[in-house]
Amino acid sequence: MTAWIKIYKKEMKDAIRDRRSVMAALSYSIGTPLIMCILFIAMIDKFSSPSALYLTIENPQQAPELMRHLQSKDIFSKDALPEGKSTKAITLTIDDGYLYAMQHGELATLTITADFSNDNLRSSIRRLQRELRSFSREVAALRLIARGVSPEVIRVLDVQAKDTAKPEAKGGFIIGVAIFMMIYAVFISGMNLAIDTSAGERERNSLALMLSLPIRVSDLVLGKLLAVSSFALFGLCMILLVSKIAYAYVPWQELGANVIIDGRFALYMLLFSFPLALLAASMQLFVSFMAKTFKEAQSYLTIVLILPMGMAMVTGYDIGPDMLRWLPVSGQQKALMEVVKGNVLPWDSLLMATAITLLLTGALVAALMKLLSSEKTVFSL
Amino acid sequence: MIEVHNLSKKIADVQALDQLSFSAGDGKITGLLGPNGAGKTTCLRTLFNLLDADNGWAKVDGINVKENPLKAKKGLGLFPDPFGLYERLSPREYIQYFAELNGLASSAASAACEEVIERLQMSDIADRRCKGFSQGQRMKTALAQAIVHKPQNIVLDEPTRGLDVMSTRTLRDLLLALKADGHCILFSSHVMQEVSALCDEVVVMAAGRAIAQGSPAELCERTEQDSLEEAFISLIGSDEGIAA
Repeated sequence: MTAWIKIYKKEMKDAIRDRRSVMAALSYSIGTPLIMCILFIAMIDKFSSPSALYLTIENPQQAPELMRHLQSKDIFSKDALPEGKSTKAITLTIDDGYLYAMQHGELATLTITADFSNDNLRSSIRRLQRELRSFSREVAALRLIARGVSPEVIRVLDVQAKDTAKPEAKGGFIIGVAIFMMIYAVFISGMNLAIDTSAGERERNSLALMLSLPIRVSDLVLGKLLAVSSFALFGLCMILLVSKIAYAYVPWQELGANVIIDGRFALYMLLFSFPLALLAASMQLFVSFMAKTFKEAQSYLTIVLILPMGMAMVTGYDIGPDMLRWLPVSGQQKALMEVVKGNVLPWDSLLMATAITLLLTGALVAALMKLLSSEKTVFSL
Repeated sequence: MIEVHNLSKKIADVQALDQLSFSAGDGKITGLLGPNGAGKTTCLRTLFNLLDADNGWAKVDGINVKENPLKAKKGLGLFPDPFGLYERLSPREYIQYFAELNGLASSAASAACEEVIERLQMSDIADRRCKGFSQGQRMKTALAQAIVHKPQNIVLDEPTRGLDVMSTRTLRDLLLALKADGHCILFSSHVMQEVSALCDEVVVMAAGRAIAQGSPAELCERTEQDSLEEAFISLIGSDEGIAA
C-alpha cells in the first residue's frame, strides 16, 4: 500500500473522531437547506400579493362603480376589514369632483398616497394601479361607443408575448442562490478538517515528526488533500439529501421557479463539484499551512472564502461579465443552473471552467509541496 | 552509525551550527551535551533533512542525508521533543501508523506493534485514546513509535524532559537494551546526570561547535577533572544553561 493511502486512512479516522470536524461538515449541510426553505417561504409572502388587498379609501361614495370594480378584483376599503387581516399603508383618495367629472365625460382625479420605496407595498401598489387602469380603459371604451366610435380606434398596437421559457426556467436568481448554497457546502464542510490537519498538526508538534519519516512530501499532501476533499463531498451529499427533503415543502409555483433535486441533478452536481472539492481542499490546506495556529488559520480562511461566495453571488444576480462562465465556481454554477432549467448544458464553458479548476488545484498542490519542503514554513523560522 | 562532518547552518543572524563534526557508532549510546541554544536540536533536524545545511554533510549508515533523504531516513527512528501524539488515536493505532509509514507492510506492522507494546509494558493503555495520557504514558507511546520499525539508529531529542523517576528508568533500561542489540543511539540533552549515567561517548557542544568528543572518563582525564560536570565546565568555560 502506498504511503498516501495510509495517510488518507489515518486522516479520515482521526477526522471522524473529531466532533468539531464532523459537526462543521454536518451543521452547514443540514442547517442551510432548512434556512433556505424558510427564506423562500418568507419571500413568497413578501413578493406575492395576498389575494385580498385592504387599503384606505377616502371619499368612496363619489365612485360607486369604481368601488364595485375594485371589489370584483378583491381590493377592499379597510372598513370591510375582517379580523386577522391587516391593512396596507396605501390610501386611495377620490377627488370631490369625481362623480361630476364621470357624469360629464371629463377627466376624474384619483390620488394614491403611499411610500413607493417600501418593498412590502410595491406589488400591492402595482396591483392597484393595474386595476385602476383597467377600469379607466373600460369607461373610455363605453364613452367612445356612446359617441358612435369603435373603441378599436384607440388601440394601435396589438402586442402579444409568447414566453418560450420552460416553467422550471423562471426565477433564475432563486435557482442560482439555491444551487450556490449547495456548491458552497464543498467549501465549508472540509474547512475544519483542513485546518486541523495542517495548522493543527503544527500546533500539536506532529508536523516535523511526519516530515522526518521516509515518505515523500507529495504522499503527505495527497493523503491530506483527499481526506479534506472527501469531507467536502460528504457535506455536498448531505446537503443534496436534506435539500431534497426540505425543498419539497417550498411552494415553488408561487415563486415562479422550481428546484427539483432528482437523480440526474444530483449526479451532475457531484460530478461538476468534484474538481471544486479538490480546489477547495488545496486552497484551504495551503492557507492553513501558512498559519501557525488553528485560530490564525480560521481567520485567514474566513477571508479567503469570501472569494467563491462573491463569484457565486455575481453569477446568481447575473450582473458579472460573461467571462464568469469560464471560471471555477461560477462556471459550474451556471452549468448546474442550466440543468435545473432543463436547458442544454454549456459544455464548452463547463469544460473550460473544470480545466481551470484543476489547473488551479495543481498549482496549489505544487505550492503546498514547496511550502512543506521549506524549513522556514515547517519551523516558522 | 551516524556521521556529521563540518556541518554549518545559519538561521536568521545566528550561526546555529559552526563546522560541527562528530560520529556516533553502532552499539553505543552517544550524548550530545550542551547548554540551551548550543545547536543540539538544529543538528538533529539537519540529520533528518528537515533543515538544509549551508555546508558539510550528515550520513546515516554511510548514506548522505541530503542526497538520498528517503533511504537515509529509513535507517532512523525519532523520539521528538515535544512528542507530537495524535490525541484521537490509540497508541496501537498510532504506533501501527508510523510502522507502516516507515515501510512495514500491514501485517508486519501489526506484529511489530504488538511486540513493542509488550516490550514497553503498555498493553493496559494500548487501546485507549491518547487524550488525557500522563507524561509517562505519552513518553512510552512516542518511544514505541521511534523503535517499532527497528531502525539501526535511534535519535532522541531531550528524552527525559518532564519525566518522573519511573519513566526515566524505563527509558534508560530500554536504551541500554537497544545498545546491547547493536543499535546506534544518539540523544541530545542538557542534563549532566543523565548523560554521565548512560553515555559511552559524549559530544560536548557549545555555540554550534563540537568542542570535544570522548567517553566520560576520557573527558575527565583530558581536562584533569574528577567529574563530567567539572570537565564540561572546564571545556566550555561556563556552566550556564546546564542542569546538574
